[in-house]
Amino acid sequence: MFKDLDPILHSQLRLAVMSLLISVKEAEFTFIREKTNSTAGNLSVQIQKLKDAGYIDVTKQFKDNYPLTVCKITKQGIKSFEVYVGNLQSYLGKV
Amino acid sequence: MTQPEKQLTEKESLDLIAKMINKAKDACHDTGISAMMWGSLIAICALVRLSELQFDYRLPFDIYLLTFVAVIPQIYFSIKAKKKRKVKTYDDAFMDSLWMGFGITIFLMIFITNALFNAMEGYKDPAGHTAVITMYEFISPLFLLLYGMPTFVTGVSMKFKPMIFGGILCWVCCLIAIYTPVKVDLLLTAFSAVFAWLIPGIIMEKDYRNAKLELAVANV
Repeated sequence: MFKDLDPILHSQLRLAVMSLLISVKEAEFTFIREKTNSTAGNLSVQIQKLKDAGYIDVTKQFKDNYPLTVCKITKQGIKSFEVYVGNLQSYLGKV
Repeated sequence: MTQPEKQLTEKESLDLIAKMINKAKDACHDTGISAMMWGSLIAICALVRLSELQFDYRLPFDIYLLTFVAVIPQIYFSIKAKKKRKVKTYDDAFMDSLWMGFGITIFLMIFITNALFNAMEGYKDPAGHTAVITMYEFISPLFLLLYGMPTFVTGVSMKFKPMIFGGILCWVCCLIAIYTPVKVDLLLTAFSAVFAWLIPGIIMEKDYRNAKLELAVANV
């Protein structure tokens, strides 16, 4: 049924992260954690999977001497997200 | 530590996407501090210049120099906002470039008009007025023209009606100021600054504080 849907995106937390990042230029890890109501550990793992797939860029910086992780969607991520949404819509007969 | 992944249906996936996009939108509220500061400053400068002309006195310094001094608190507000910001939207990036471009344009405009005043020193128009005074009549419309552009674009981009009306008001006042004497031009400038920046800034600040309060209540 879901054979055409991207398995990287077809997961609740990863899809939530991608949906947030598609709407903004970049977001801090804490912002994503707040908005997705996820735990830091689980979110880190899912972000790493998205990064490994080339869907997001993750940069680590320092802000006021505290580590800061900033995530940004890549061009490949945008393209995959659009294909995923297109497939979902076709399943639902909206296209 | 990972939690077991929930299998989503097509409908759930689309609902989740819509929900997260809305959450991202709700996270973006601008403070109105900069708009309030620039609105009140430009209004004060125009009104002080008007009083100088009306009551025939001169301050020991050009009141418009305050606009250069105000760049310092503006930089402070910008750095503070940037530090607080956990997310940067495309609108934020666009707005930053728009207002920076506006600042550079205004600076160049001041430089050009000053150069023009110096070049026209001593010339007289056919009516016998010195060219500098004649040119002075058209300075306010030029600046009002510029004030309108970023204000209108910001209003449209943020879907914020007070700034859309403020931008249009600047252009209307620009047209009127072409045909009115300098004193009226200065009144129109103060009026435009209040309605294009100060009042929208107060509304934005109020919305920002309400949103912050709602977020604090939601997190309790």
